Amino acid sequence: MKCKVCKRETESKYCELHDKAYRNIVKEYDVWKKASDVSWKEYLSAIAKNSYTGLWAKEVAEHLMKSGEK
Amino acid sequence: MEKYTLIVTEKPNAAQRIAKALDSQGTPEKVEEDGVPYFLAHRDQKLVVVPALGHLYTVVHERGRRNYYPVFNFKWAPRYSAERRAKQTRTWIEVISRLASNAENFIAACDYDLEGSLIGYCLLKYACGDKEGVAKRMKFSTLTKNELEKAYEEPLSSLNFALIEAGRTRHEVDWLYGVNLSRALTLAAKRWSGRYATLSTGRVQGPTLKFLVGREKEIRSFVPTPYWSIRSEVKIKSSVYEVEYETKTFEKKANADAVVEACKGKTGEIETIEVRKLRQKPPIPFDLGKLQTEAYSLFRYTPRRTSGIAQRLYLEALISYPRTSSQKLPPTIDYRAILKKLKKKTVYKKLASDLLRKDELKPVEGKKEDPAHPAIYPTGNMPERELSEPEKRVWDLVVRRFMAVFGEPAIKQSMKASIVVNGHRFYLRGRRVLKEGWTRFYKPYIRAEEVLLPTIKDGQKVSMKQVMREDKFTKPPPRYNPSSLLQKMEEEGIGTKATRADIIETLYSRGYVAEERIVTTDLGFDIADVLSKYCPRVTSVKFTRELEEKMERIQTNSEDRVNVLVEAVSQLKPVLEELKEKEQAIGQVLSQAIKRARMQERLIGNCPDCKTGKLMILYSRKTRKRFIGCTNYFKDICTTSFPLPQKGTAKPAQKNCKGCEWPLVFVRMRGRRPWMLCFNPKCPLKEERRKRNEMQSLQKGN
Repeated sequence: MKCKVCKRETESKYCELHDKAYRNIVKEYDVWKKASDVSWKEYLSAIAKNSYTGLWAKEVAEHLMKSGEK
Repeated sequence: MEKYTLIVTEKPNAAQRIAKALDSQGTPEKVEEDGVPYFLAHRDQKLVVVPALGHLYTVVHERGRRNYYPVFNFKWAPRYSAERRAKQTRTWIEVISRLASNAENFIAACDYDLEGSLIGYCLLKYACGDKEGVAKRMKFSTLTKNELEKAYEEPLSSLNFALIEAGRTRHEVDWLYGVNLSRALTLAAKRWSGRYATLSTGRVQGPTLKFLVGREKEIRSFVPTPYWSIRSEVKIKSSVYEVEYETKTFEKKANADAVVEACKGKTGEIETIEVRKLRQKPPIPFDLGKLQTEAYSLFRYTPRRTSGIAQRLYLEALISYPRTSSQKLPPTIDYRAILKKLKKKTVYKKLASDLLRKDELKPVEGKKEDPAHPAIYPTGNMPERELSEPEKRVWDLVVRRFMAVFGEPAIKQSMKASIVVNGHRFYLRGRRVLKEGWTRFYKPYIRAEEVLLPTIKDGQKVSMKQVMREDKFTKPPPRYNPSSLLQKMEEEGIGTKATRADIIETLYSRGYVAEERIVTTDLGFDIADVLSKYCPRVTSVKFTRELEEKMERIQTNSEDRVNVLVEAVSQLKPVLEELKEKEQAIGQVLSQAIKRARMQERLIGNCPDCKTGKLMILYSRKTRKRFIGCTNYFKDICTTSFPLPQKGTAKPAQKNCKGCEWPLVFVRMRGRRPWMLCFNPKCPLKEERRKRNEMQSLQKGN
């Protein structure tokens, strides 16, 4: 199986590096939702544009926006 | 032939200074034999002072080829036999051996630390023919005349063998780890891809790279979260002051908005005023790490650069030995004598005189000690030549720090007024210096600014000039820079003060990291991954620190060299076996990483024409000439190409042209100053330059 973002060989949906970013994205959504009641899509779009977002987290956010996966 | 005492030193500059200090006339004769300088001095007897060139001997594989591992049998041999670039060491060893054959007495006068002791030992044992047992040792911390004369008159009766053993062990353990692990990585990649690329790692390099990779992973997978704060100002009399809201951050936007709503345009009342006095103690003397950190924060000098500058200042007898971990200044260095000498320089005259007026001079000191040397201090000598700007800065920093440690505590006053506005509390803060104390000695390097407040009293009304919400996001952890990485290595107890800066530079030169705010490259990631996966012990900070501690204990005779070596080998053996077993898998990962890194080195940017390809430095299959072309060029999809100079080296500059925003190429050619090349033929800057040249030639024609 290949990582959905970088196509590295992996045993799950994402490689180890992008998986860490994915887990961070899911975890931080709760904080965003409580803070300013944004939807999942709005959240992904906001973090994909944010200059503090890490490269791998941006790649995962863009992939999630394109694919519509949760 | 007249017999003499042979004094061996570490470097030519040190030899010259020692000869000058010991010669009764202060004018030793310089002799050069086959390009090797040495000095003849006369004192109570004839002295020959001969320098080495740093290490003339090194650890080598006892026998065998270079392209296999594991290798555990080693010996000490001349550097010229092991390193192609060390050919000149052969002549140095020959000259020292010739001088030793007629010498009656032997003295080692190398730096009094691990490396210096080992250099002296190797010279006496191998170049001078087993004279290490009869040689005496000069011990000094500065290259000043007084101290050198004292060290010569009262030498230690023998070499410090504990220090030598510790130095030998460190070199041997580092060789065992470095050679075996680097060969394992390099050979794995070569056997898989058939191409050679130098890959290296080592006992300290591995854990250091691991810190960087850990931080890089945090940064790259970081997701910021929003928070809000209040920015507010009050008007007191005719001036405006910034005030801070009692709650620094809000997790909900609505809460911040409620504060703005409640306080905007309102008048507040000063409820309480708190005034406090703070005593700020002088800083502690510099050890090498602290000097490197301060020089980085003030002048942006890398730790290696600072260490090099400090070493030059030491060889000029301007400061004491810099590779020290001590933060203590013993009275034996004679504080007053140093200050009296510093007084001769106009800028230090007033400051030094003020300190000399004190009845007692007692420095503030740190906790760390070094059995061999005190903290870094100025000798009081004035430069004998015009110092370069960086040398001047580091010297001034050392001088001022030395004076500051004798200063009185600085006394500062802080004021905090609490202002209540419509039930919300804001703080107005001010600070001013009541007594400068030590800060006047260290003034150019102190950055704290005073915030002076007007006269205010309880119950006074103030109007809110501005209350607004600020939208903010949490930030990723900061990247390491060479200085903070060095501090981290120091905190974790890996490497030594003499090697840490060089290890950081090696990570750069191998292409594992890049840029000043350190970014780990893909190659760095892959190397760290391979090491963590197949030999986690090698990148373990705990393991590295334990080994360091054991090696340090050899210095105090509480650990045995052979035990440490046996343990190092027993730890290394299974690691190498596993690496060999997994060679194919490791080779594949590393070869791909090298390929990606090499591609990255040639990648310039996106193709402006086809938009799907990338511009790269390519080579023509016919002529082998290089050019910039689209990656779709060889697929016959895109023919975009641009010429490049054929001589010298060309690589992406990672910067864009100011005129057209196209990426630039950095070209370096022998005999010419390197330049940034914009390869866009229609760049407006080129057009401007062309017109200017035309105008000039027309004017000349008229």
